[in-house]
Amino acid sequence: MKIKAGILLLLSLLLLITACGDKEIAESEDRPDNNIENQLTLAIGGEPESGFDPTTGWGRYGSPLFQSTLLSRDQDLNITKDLATNYEVSADGLIWTVEIKSDVKFSDGEPLTADDIIFTFETAKQSQSVVDLTNLTEIEKISDKKIAFHLARPQSTFITTLQTLGIVPQHAYDQDYSEKPIGSGPYQLVEWRKGEQLIVKKNPYYYGGDLEFDRLTFLFAEEDQALAAAKAGKVDVLSLPITFATGEIPGMERVSLESVDNRGVMLPVTEPFTNEDGEEVGNEVTADPAIRRAMNMAVDREAMVEGILNGEGTTAYSSVDGLPWGNDQAVVDHNPAEAEQILKEAGWEKGTDGFYQRNGLKAAFTLYYPSGDQLRQSLSLVFADQMRNFGIMVETEAKSWVELEKLMHANPVMMGWGSHDPVELYSLYSSSMQGVEYFNSNYYKNEKIDEYLDKAIHALSEKEANENWRKIQWDGQTGVSAKGDAPWVWLVNLNHIYYVNEDINIGEQKVQPHGHGWPITDFITEWSIAE
Amino acid sequence: MKKWTYLPVILLVLLYVISMLIDPDKISIQLEERNLPPGFSHLFGTDWLGRDMFLRTMKGIELSITVGLLTAVLSTIVSFLAAMLASMHKWLDRLISWLTDLFLSLPHLVTLILISFTLGGGFKGVVIGLVLTHWPSLTRVLRAEILQLKETKYVKISEKLGKGFWWQARHHYLPHLLPQMLVGFTLIFPHAILHEASITFLGFGLSPEQPAIGIILSEAMQYLSTGFWWLAFFPGLILLIIILLFQICAKAWKSYLEKDFSHENIVRD
Repeated sequence: MKIKAGILLLLSLLLLITACGDKEIAESEDRPDNNIENQLTLAIGGEPESGFDPTTGWGRYGSPLFQSTLLSRDQDLNITKDLATNYEVSADGLIWTVEIKSDVKFSDGEPLTADDIIFTFETAKQSQSVVDLTNLTEIEKISDKKIAFHLARPQSTFITTLQTLGIVPQHAYDQDYSEKPIGSGPYQLVEWRKGEQLIVKKNPYYYGGDLEFDRLTFLFAEEDQALAAAKAGKVDVLSLPITFATGEIPGMERVSLESVDNRGVMLPVTEPFTNEDGEEVGNEVTADPAIRRAMNMAVDREAMVEGILNGEGTTAYSSVDGLPWGNDQAVVDHNPAEAEQILKEAGWEKGTDGFYQRNGLKAAFTLYYPSGDQLRQSLSLVFADQMRNFGIMVETEAKSWVELEKLMHANPVMMGWGSHDPVELYSLYSSSMQGVEYFNSNYYKNEKIDEYLDKAIHALSEKEANENWRKIQWDGQTGVSAKGDAPWVWLVNLNHIYYVNEDINIGEQKVQPHGHGWPITDFITEWSIAE
Repeated sequence: MKKWTYLPVILLVLLYVISMLIDPDKISIQLEERNLPPGFSHLFGTDWLGRDMFLRTMKGIELSITVGLLTAVLSTIVSFLAAMLASMHKWLDRLISWLTDLFLSLPHLVTLILISFTLGGGFKGVVIGLVLTHWPSLTRVLRAEILQLKETKYVKISEKLGKGFWWQARHHYLPHLLPQMLVGFTLIFPHAILHEASITFLGFGLSPEQPAIGIILSEAMQYLSTGFWWLAFFPGLILLIIILLFQICAKAWKSYLEKDFSHENIVRD
């Protein structure tokens, strides 16, 4: 305890020192007389471990801040242009031609040309990181301001890559780029002290109009400290987990944003077997679709939203609720009576102990959740409680992610997803993604679904793609929703809670993705001081 | 022993028995009754899932006392065996002394975390970790006692009479060391409980499924800043009370054992 107190003391001293430091800067640089002095302090967490290199994944959630992208999405998830002035897709869907603005400069004053874009995409392709560009065969430079991307097959999701991949400068890209990023985005790096804070200032060459705030400081503190700092009036934007965010903070407005940041119970769908890597796969109880469907109907999602999330969330029925590629048909009503009926028809009978069984097999399993995640723990405990009352014996157990990776193919796990990229559906449900990283841990396989996924990805228009994405949930006969194969019991979408300085206007926000923190910086260029 | 010293013992046993009698299924999730402050229906309030904190705390106490008793007994046995080994041979004595010094020079908690973590945590990890870290000081005392005993006349005579080592151990050393071991046991017990709570609090001990005091306290940490003080206050208080009760027993016991009985006998005569 002494050590802990010592650390706390040290941290508070550090905070004091940095706080004093900020004051000095503010005083020396003769700012206009208002209380936020055109600089903001944000405590929104989410320090990127691998730095700020878009070619290895920086900027997937929220704006890349230092870099800019060719396209972007507005608050309603419509596609808008950023660096691009125009883009066209050929009739066969194989060639994407993009024209870019002519007067864009990087923060070091060098102009941004087609070469930089080609360099960015080629680097990203070679790095083989989370940015998947295997379908991209060739990038053709038509002129300094015009590029053509050649694809091996039509790919509707290529547009997401254009929206998320920040352009890096060819002349200033080296090994240390991820720690010293230079780009054409609204802000440029001043200082990044790992584990402590990130300071950025306005990019003088930014093309997107004048920015209200000259300087931003991102604090990477624990929630407790961030909350304390906010209560002391030292933080302008604070993100807090739902379990923390119950009170009021003077001078700050509480903003609760809807999200597709979902949590659900992943259910292995196959009968138990051992795969070629020697991993245990499948679970004899959850392999029965009747059990999976019944659980989807027996679970009381409303109670979870009210009881665990304090109403700060929505009930979840799929991984893409409310998105343009989501499907309302995925919704199932809370109906324990029908759930019982489903189990009875499938041959399950309630035993004397109050739990269902069939041919000597008891409807029982262990639900694992990552240790240290209080929200997933609460959801797991309540889910288990509800299921036990219904007649399925669910035990819960916490494990580290390392252990979960070994368990998750044969046991249900409390997981979470949620992205602005429809390709996530492919990752979750495609048979080709069985057991790849955390994707399709269920070992789910349905040829019809594979067909829709294929059609959606290779669709020529967004409309056609979205139609196919929707059919994945339910096409009238089959689907991954609770009406169909039900490989998941989706439970809730969490609201993301921020406290924002009353004097700052952050405008409308998108439906938030899985990441908590950075996504709120999406429209940081539009933030302003409230009149 | 004075009469009043029985009171803490009775209280302790009572607490333990009551906590054992509580049915774990009673600690159910009641979402509509979550985050209630202490009151008549919930003496210690309820947590964020509406579980009764009094029942959870009592279950935690049961686990704590079980872990404490188990590790204290095992550590005492380990200490005795180590001390006996040390008395067998010069080289063994050096080895045991070296090990004692080694373990005493390392901070308890660090060694404990290392051992418990290596064994995969959980009940087994914690108990083994606690046993392996709490034997040295008692071993040192016992070893010194044995060295003294070895030089006493009756032991020397018994050796001359051809009695074997283990016969001596049983008939000379054990009866003489028993009071020391009892005191050692009572001193290890509160230590073990507190250390179990600490490493569980730090996340290296018992798994979050078990209703341990350490788990309750570390969960409560996240709610302290939101003002749910009762989540940490009462479990912490009860833990403190248990430790104090045991401490009082231990003291009484110690002074009783240290009493000069020859004097008492004379007075009685």
